[in-house]
Amino acid sequence: MVRSDFMSTNKTVAVVLPAYNEAKAIGKVLAGIPASIGLMSVSAVVVDDGSTDHTAEIARRHGAKVIRHLTNLGAGAATVTGMQAAKVLDADVIVTIDADGQHNPADIQLLVECLLDGPYDVVIGSRLLDPAGMPASRFAANLLLNAVTYLVHGKIVSDSQSGFKAYSRGAIEAMALSSSGYEICSEIIGEIYRKNLRYKSVPIKAVYTDYSKAKGQHFLNGINLIIGLLMRMLRRA
Amino acid sequence: MIPIISKIFAVLLAGIAISKSYVGVRTRAESFQVFIFWTLTWVAIVIVALFPALVDLVIASFGEKRVGLGTVFGMALVFLYFLVYRIYMRLDHMEQQLVKIVQELSLRDWKRTE
Repeated sequence: MVRSDFMSTNKTVAVVLPAYNEAKAIGKVLAGIPASIGLMSVSAVVVDDGSTDHTAEIARRHGAKVIRHLTNLGAGAATVTGMQAAKVLDADVIVTIDADGQHNPADIQLLVECLLDGPYDVVIGSRLLDPAGMPASRFAANLLLNAVTYLVHGKIVSDSQSGFKAYSRGAIEAMALSSSGYEICSEIIGEIYRKNLRYKSVPIKAVYTDYSKAKGQHFLNGINLIIGLLMRMLRRA
Repeated sequence: MIPIISKIFAVLLAGIAISKSYVGVRTRAESFQVFIFWTLTWVAIVIVALFPALVDLVIASFGEKRVGLGTVFGMALVFLYFLVYRIYMRLDHMEQQLVKIVQELSLRDWKRTE
């Protein structure tokens, strides 16, 4: 099926934003999400992961559907909740994007078109295919985590830690995800490999502001992530 | 020098563990029985750390004379690793259950309001 066939149908896209204390950034991200892609309607689903600020109110004000976790569970658990909500909404395409403003919401269209054109099951927005502007420490950490993901899940991709992805409904139903924290990104790569899903990485530009750098993964998170991945490997053994 | 440092280290760790357990009892985060259990355990550890020759006496009382301290501590280390692994697995299981409950409740609330 060619792109125009998909774009002219009444398919729906759900954009899932896991958010924890993102009151400062989420409004701008939601405002940047397109209302439609072709004839496909787009709805934003914010999973407020136990925020103590006004994340949920701001998200509602911007017309997003808001699901609130009673307590902070982690980015992985919030992503899974968002995917479940997208299934309830009967979305045909599900996009996950960070709520801290690190990704450009205008790139959603790029990922969705690539998914439908392929057709692919998963399209990964890769920051490392064009890493210009990425801080050197981030670049090195992402390469290291790519290597750890390969060791644990046996699959190498250009940006295993990207939170910006588009999925077909079938891919969401096929994947069995159980990570609560940031290690979910690696688990998804493992599921793509295990479930033999068709995937493609497309270059995206990450926006590095002081805010997104402070909110993003730092060194200790990276250590926790590696420990989490190794324990996951032990559990599977 | 190293034996003295290890003794100080054991006493310090025991002090921290017992005081944390005591705070737990005061705040009703843990029961008095649990506090007594950990206090006795840490007191035993401190006694062994301060007087390691006691281990030889215990071993001798079983009629064994050729088992060194290294063997005893090696076995203790393996046992502790096993214990840590079991505790980790249990915690991980509990965390996964908690995540499922919170996710289920959140989705149920959301569906009701949609």
